[in-house]
Order: sequence, then structure tokens, then C-alpha cells
Amino acid sequence: MKKEKIVMAVTIGISAFILVAIIFMQFKVVEKTDRISIDAMTESDLRSELISWREKYDELQLQYQDTLVKIQEYKEEYKSDEETEKLLENELTELKTLLGETNVHGQGIIITINEGNLQNDKINYEDLLYIVNELKAAGAEAISINDNRVINRTGIYTIGTESGFIKIDGKRILAPYIIKAIGNQTYLEGALLGNGGYVDELRKWGFEIQIERNDDVKIDAYSNSLSNKYMK
Amino acid sequence: MIYLAIIVGCILGAILGINAPMISYTYSTYLAIAVVAALDSVFGGISSVLKKNFDLKIFLSGFFVNSILSILLTILGQKLNVDIYLATIFVFISRMFNNLTIIRRYYVEKWSEQLEHLRKIKAETDTNQSNNS
Repeated sequence: MKKEKIVMAVTIGISAFILVAIIFMQFKVVEKTDRISIDAMTESDLRSELISWREKYDELQLQYQDTLVKIQEYKEEYKSDEETEKLLENELTELKTLLGETNVHGQGIIITINEGNLQNDKINYEDLLYIVNELKAAGAEAISINDNRVINRTGIYTIGTESGFIKIDGKRILAPYIIKAIGNQTYLEGALLGNGGYVDELRKWGFEIQIERNDDVKIDAYSNSLSNKYMK
Repeated sequence: MIYLAIIVGCILGAILGINAPMISYTYSTYLAIAVVAALDSVFGGISSVLKKNFDLKIFLSGFFVNSILSILLTILGQKLNVDIYLATIFVFISRMFNNLTIIRRYYVEKWSEQLEHLRKIKAETDTNQSNNS
């Protein structure tokens, strides 16, 4: 009997709890909602407004979908753009290296030419041109004379008579001439030495020439700026 | 004991209801209908207590099933574009008034009985006094 009473009290208490909780929630909702503006409109007004809002919602939903698709596309494009950018960058550095606009190093040879005490004969620009040409023919990838990079456009020339200064791209160079070349060491050496090699010829004339193999020849970048004025 | 349970339940419910998060206005209609149904059950319960045929199972099933059923009917009405909730409210409110009438009659009768009783006692004492004097 007592147990039954307790059960009854608890269940009735719980139902009272639920009822009052719902009532108070309802009070709160009704209090907070702007009833006046809703009540002021007739039902047809509300309905038409609802329809228009629904249409707007549908439209916006469509737009949202479109935008999502676009964003996806842009993202993919961005990814591919990044890839092309990397490719282009690689290409650019490669081209710059080819042009001689970067500092490079690698196996090669260093040729040192001393004029010695010869009074009547000096190294002239033709000798240097000849050596450079031989080196290029032997597959030299980078050449410098007294740390002046020799690139495709480089001119080696002299001013005035044959006893004048040797100039490379407008810079005057003096003996001793140090020519650095990066490439296959054997080929480079073979092109200069040996039968009919130009260095041998010069040695016969009495110049002191050393050829040194170096596994890490360092050649600096071309220092002048390259620009096109006439080429189109 | 039952009164204590009801009071505690009411206080706790009020606290929960005040602190509960806001419900969307769309659902407040359903809640209102459920509240009316539950109130109807409460009054039905009180009147059955007075009639001395109160059954906890009937009360509880009426309390919950009526609420849920009225909510479902309201949803159905909205789907069918018929204001069924008006009919639910009508039924529940008329039943509430019936039950209120029963409760009112019970107490009024009790009260008038008491009055009658008092008057009788008074009359008896009066007659006694007059007899004595």
C-alpha cells in the first residue's frame, strides 16, 4: 500500500514537472516572439510572404550549390596552377643556368697562362678566343676568363693595336689569364693538349701554361645585365 | 505526500522551463496543443479523484497519449491544410469545462452541506437555550 503510494506520488510529480516545464517554455517562446508583426498580417499576406521567402531560399540554395562547384573548380585550377608554376620555375632556372646567369660549379679544368718574361710576344685576344672556341667545341658548359663569365654574347676583343688591352664585354683583363671551364675533364684537356693542341703551340712559343684538373670548379654568374634592344 | 510531489515537480519544471533554450515558433503550436491536452487530463484526474474512481494508469496514459495524439493531429492538419488543432482545442476545452463543473459542484455541495449542518447545530443550540430559559 505504501509502495503504491510512493509510485503514484513520483509519477504524478514527474508529470507535473513535464507539464510545468512545457508551459514555461511556451511562455518564454510566446513572450520572445514578435507576435504583433505576425498578427498584423492577414493569412494570405503571410502565405505569399512565405512563398516568396521559399522561392528566395530555393534560389539562394541553387546559387550556393553553383558557388560550391565553382570553388571546387577554382581549387582544382589552383592546384594545377601550382604545378605549372613549379614546372615553369624549374624551366626558368634551367634556362638561367644555360644562359649563364647563375653561379655554377662542377668538374672541369683551370688553365693558367703566364706571359713570363717574354718581351716581344704577348698573349693577344685571338689566343684567348681560340682557346675558348676549342673549349666550347670540346663541350665546355661554362667558361670564365679571370672570373669574367663567357656566355654566348660575350665578345673578346682588343682596342687599338695588337699590343693594346684585351677586353671582355668591356672589362679590361690583364695577365696572368686564368681560364676556368666546366665540362668533361678528359675532353677539355684533350682539346687543348696533344697533337696540334693550341696550348702546346703556345708552350712552344714560350708561354708558361698550367692545366689543372679540378673536381669542383666554381664559376660565377654573368655580371652584366642581359637585355634586348633590337631583337624582336 | 502526493501534494508535496506535485509542488516539487512544479518548481523543478518551472526552473527547467525558464532555463531551457528557445524553441522555434513553428513548434510552439504543437507544444501549446500538448499543454492543453495535458491540462485536460489533469482536470479529468482531479474530477475522478473526487468521484473516487481515480486510476493512475488511466491518468498517465491519458496524459501522454492525448498530448502526443493532439500533436500528431495538428501535424496531420497542417499537411492536409485543415486546422484540425481547432477541433482538438475545442474538444479538450469543453471536456475541461465539464470536469471543472463536476469539481465546482462537488465543492459547492460540500460547502452548502456544511452550511446546512452549521445552521442545524445553531438552531439546535437556540432551541436548547430557549428551552432552558
